[in-house]
Amino acid sequence: MSETKGEFEPKIVVYACNWCTYAATDLAGTSRMSYPPNVRIIRVMCSGRIDPQFVLQAFADGADGVIVAGCHPPADCHYIEGNYKAYRRFELFRKLLETMGIEQERFRLEWISAAEASRWVQVVNEMVTQVKKLGPLKPNLEVRE
Amino acid sequence: MTEEPRIGVYVCHCGFNIAGTVDVKKVAEFAKTLPNVVVAKDYVFMCSEPGQDLIKADIKAHNLNRVVVSACSPSLHEITFRTAVSEAGLNKYLLEMANIREHCSWVHHDKEKATEKAKEIVRMAVAKARHLEPLQELEVKAETSALVLGGGVAGMRAALELANYGFNVYLVEKAPTIGGKAALIGYVDPKTKGAEIVSKMFDRVKDCPRIQVLTNAELIQLSGFAGNYIAKVRLNPRYVNEKCTLCGECEEVCPIEVSNEYNFGLNKRKAIFLPFSNAYPPYYAIDYRVCVKCGECEKVCRFGAISLKEEPKVVDLKVGSIIIATGYDPYRPFKGEYGYGLHQNIMTLFQLERLLDPDSPTKGELIVGNKIPKSIAFIQCVGSRNTTPGAKEYCSRMCCTTAINSAVKIKEKYPDMNVYILYKDIMTYGSDETLYEEAGKKLVQFIKFEEKIPKVSITPEGLFIDVFEYTIQENLRIPVDAIVLSIGMLPPRDIEELIAVTRVSCGGEGFVREAHLKLAPVEAPTKGIFLAGCITGPKNILESIRMGSAAAAKAMSLLSKGKLTIEPMIAQVNEEKCSGCAICVGVCPYSAISIKKVNGDRIAYVEKALCMGCGTCNAACPSGAMQHLGFKDIQLLAQTRAVFGGEMNV
Amino acid sequence: MSSVLIVGGGVAGIQAALDLAEQGIDVYIVDKAPSVGGKMAYLDKTFPTLDCASCILAPKMAALLRYPNIKLIMNSEVQDVSGRAGNFKVKILKKPTYVDWSKCNGCGVCTEKCPTKVPNEYNMGLSQRRAIYIMFPQAVPKRAIIDAEHCMRLNPPPKAKEKAKGPLCGVCERNCPTKAIRYDQQPEILELNVSAVIVATGMELYDPRNLPELGYGKYQNVYTNLEFERLVSATGPTNGEIVRKSDGKHPKKIAWIQCVGSRDIRFNHYCSAYCCMAATKQAILAKEHLPEVQCTVYYMDIRAFGKGFNEFLERAKKEFGINYIRGKVVRIDEIPETKNLKIVYEDTAESYMKADEYDMVVLSVAITPNSKLPLPVELTKDGFIQLKDPYLDPVSTTVEGIFVVGAVAGAKDIPDSVTEASAAAARAALIAKRFSCPTPEVVK
Repeated sequence: MSETKGEFEPKIVVYACNWCTYAATDLAGTSRMSYPPNVRIIRVMCSGRIDPQFVLQAFADGADGVIVAGCHPPADCHYIEGNYKAYRRFELFRKLLETMGIEQERFRLEWISAAEASRWVQVVNEMVTQVKKLGPLKPNLEVRE
Repeated sequence: MTEEPRIGVYVCHCGFNIAGTVDVKKVAEFAKTLPNVVVAKDYVFMCSEPGQDLIKADIKAHNLNRVVVSACSPSLHEITFRTAVSEAGLNKYLLEMANIREHCSWVHHDKEKATEKAKEIVRMAVAKARHLEPLQELEVKAETSALVLGGGVAGMRAALELANYGFNVYLVEKAPTIGGKAALIGYVDPKTKGAEIVSKMFDRVKDCPRIQVLTNAELIQLSGFAGNYIAKVRLNPRYVNEKCTLCGECEEVCPIEVSNEYNFGLNKRKAIFLPFSNAYPPYYAIDYRVCVKCGECEKVCRFGAISLKEEPKVVDLKVGSIIIATGYDPYRPFKGEYGYGLHQNIMTLFQLERLLDPDSPTKGELIVGNKIPKSIAFIQCVGSRNTTPGAKEYCSRMCCTTAINSAVKIKEKYPDMNVYILYKDIMTYGSDETLYEEAGKKLVQFIKFEEKIPKVSITPEGLFIDVFEYTIQENLRIPVDAIVLSIGMLPPRDIEELIAVTRVSCGGEGFVREAHLKLAPVEAPTKGIFLAGCITGPKNILESIRMGSAAAAKAMSLLSKGKLTIEPMIAQVNEEKCSGCAICVGVCPYSAISIKKVNGDRIAYVEKALCMGCGTCNAACPSGAMQHLGFKDIQLLAQTRAVFGGEMNV
Repeated sequence: MSSVLIVGGGVAGIQAALDLAEQGIDVYIVDKAPSVGGKMAYLDKTFPTLDCASCILAPKMAALLRYPNIKLIMNSEVQDVSGRAGNFKVKILKKPTYVDWSKCNGCGVCTEKCPTKVPNEYNMGLSQRRAIYIMFPQAVPKRAIIDAEHCMRLNPPPKAKEKAKGPLCGVCERNCPTKAIRYDQQPEILELNVSAVIVATGMELYDPRNLPELGYGKYQNVYTNLEFERLVSATGPTNGEIVRKSDGKHPKKIAWIQCVGSRDIRFNHYCSAYCCMAATKQAILAKEHLPEVQCTVYYMDIRAFGKGFNEFLERAKKEFGINYIRGKVVRIDEIPETKNLKIVYEDTAESYMKADEYDMVVLSVAITPNSKLPLPVELTKDGFIQLKDPYLDPVSTTVEGIFVVGAVAGAKDIPDSVTEASAAAARAALIAKRFSCPTPEVVK
């Protein structure tokens, strides 16, 4: 969680696939859209590459929220079906979060296409508002390095 | 990596694009405090010549072994900077981009907050850079040869195109002749006969020394990868060799008679037969599936062209690519579907097409039940568009145009005949619409039905069709002498074997799936395998021919250099860590991973030429043995930890 | 190695260029627009998979930049082609962009500072751009261009010109961080020698004003399908919000009218092939954006002939409740108070004239080939480029060495255009390589 001077400013880590969501985050930039500066984007080639381990690491280190984002099912995925693999992994993962004392609302799995810059902005806005409402994450888990 | 990382960080102003919102000086100062950063600078346009020169000079002066460029999105200038660092002698994969423009300066307005965020983005990039490794592009030799499966128009077109380009081509056809179904179609458009197109293509195939035609042949096994396939092809015996003079005496003595598939069952043929008059290769063939080997033909042949001792042979062919053009099967109406099989005057569109061919049993005359009918009705969408219980959901694309074309031909030949076309929607898309107009002018009568399909009655008074005409909302009872069922297309019967051998996959409708429906219509998801014609779904002849050309073109552009470059950002196995659990094998969308035995241990093996670098195997690997180069666990974890100022140790 | 000229930088031209470049052949793409992308760059989604168009097109556009042997000649037109296969001489008119593209890095500062606003063609005039502009955010190459007609400096209003002592405005020049603005840039004629030419100029949309009974241009809430595409697009003028031009409100009932200018003996006899599925797609998108909206498509025949099309149509009917009426629209009247539209049509199911009210109407307009080119090729009576022998030589025109792909050779959709592009690339490569390598062909 981040140190707050006045209002609590959450830190949200985003894992984005190269072809759709990362392109949408770029488009939001080139279109000069505006959103809160709370997100940090990590690029992977495919949402199927995103390991739940990364998300756990992010929460353990102090993330207040995590977004995993890829291409729309059924057919947008550049690698045929990586988005489905992400879907399977993270729907299961989401259920496990509560058992670790992390509210499910701190985690979002999103499909954002390369054209949906406005959708990206909307997701960021919603997530920041949501996490602000939840307050800083006080993790009660230890991740071994 | 034994060498201690020495990182240079370059912060771009991008004019005011970045510098207007982000304090670039502060970002550069901050970068200097990060572990392993030796030098950090800012400059107005890093992508400009002087900007790139600055980086190159620093690599040499400071002996840098990693570079972080903090500027725009990697999609824009990653290649630019990779080229720059490689010009300075550094492996180009030792570059990391920090996107502080699209992800920061352009989307935020508060300068202080944007600067803080930019610092963290740089920290994340530096953290990943510390763990970057040099990567090498690999090159493998590639065969400039191809195996074309299927000798129809699409396959022949592909083979001709490839041969023109200097490729050696094996044209593998299951039947005893090439030509496919187009050879059997009377008229493919008002002026062109199917047989003419095919025989012109035969002439070109014959004259081309680079094309080897293998008939009665099938692909039984495929191993290897793009550029280096080994195709096992079984050559089934033809029992007739090139000494055959087409005298036909053998045919007379042959005691076996079966339905003639080359006339769509309109007549019978013998076990030894010539598929059609200009078949290629131009010899008789014995249907090995029905021949009883009585030896009569062998005895009667005066030219020693027949040998019943011939055995199947299996050959290994080394090819660089595979083009699948095995076409379709016509829909098979069940007995009684619109009266099919119950009356000799109820036939399929293919049978009608055969009848209208001058080379047909009736010499092109429309004779059904021994006479020329006074009226004929086409029923469209038989087997397509969910019309009947056994029908497919898709539209078969070619049946409307083919039926209307035949109707126009019939009207030209027999102007007094009543011709009806019963349809749901007329699919004469594009310029074929003119044919529809033409049919209207020739007084072909169009009758539209919707959900309620027409009913065919066979009575002592003759054939009747009961239909609810949609546009006038009335029930009609039409007496007709002949009925043509415009049957659609099905995936070929042996598609399961094709899938098993070539590892292509199918969509819900049963045809082979292309790499991308819109933008990669002739490529299979597996590199080196291409698709042409109706194997991916219904097409007309022209579209199939164009796909043949396109598939050949794709094979050429892949292999024309005689070598293939393999991108280095792919999966790599740490053999010591791998437990051989094979989870990765199942998740790989490209079948690039297999399990090999190494000194008795099961180890995952990545076929580099097949891996497309998605990294999903890495995420699935329980032991961390599988790593996605360029996006390894340690690199992404380091990036994650750096968000919060943490580190992963080198 | 000799080179190939591609006329038109749409999806077909791009595909042909990539295939040729991959084989090491030099390629020139000439396009009259300032960016490649063609009509596909305007699309939000593609049927029948509802793939996002820019997700699949933008990587191909960007890939052009990765090949040093592809040269993009934008904002230009071919003026003359002479010679023969293996040695064509091509004259290209390069119109001024008033920006030195070797200096411009697409940062876009000028497009923010420019004081003159004009309707944005990329959004079909539904939003505004500046007189200096970048065609669209993903443009390739991403370079600024001055629209001379509207630029204060290049075409000042006469009154302002009289008053001013020196040159007017100059805002972009002052703000350009790379000093790339060139107000004095002149048209240039480029001369190229190429081995083969691929024509991929695609299509234009038929002007629905030729059917005045439909009220396009007169009634605010009648749109063309390309305008609707921009309206529904996340990158469009309203960021994907479907609102009426007249009052900015969400429509509750939208109608699509098919065959506007196609299959009509008054205009074009041919079927435009794309529109049935495009309307189905747009109706689905409308439903996704506004779940309450009622969508109706007026058609003659639904042409669901391609892979996955009929399945898509069934989904539209069953899953999204899109209504299809087989009927010929005779007239559209605007209701002055509400600016709603009354559609008068013949319901062919009942052979009876009916009328229905909508608050938005989308016209599925015909395509017309972009075939008025200074090339010695023959045209069909519909104006498409004539193929030499479609069966034996599928992408050749009547002139050896000039190939044709995409919609300029007949109405067709994206996969067919891309297929032809690859086919033509191969034929062109053959010529380019034959004339550059001294060994003769071995083929008998």
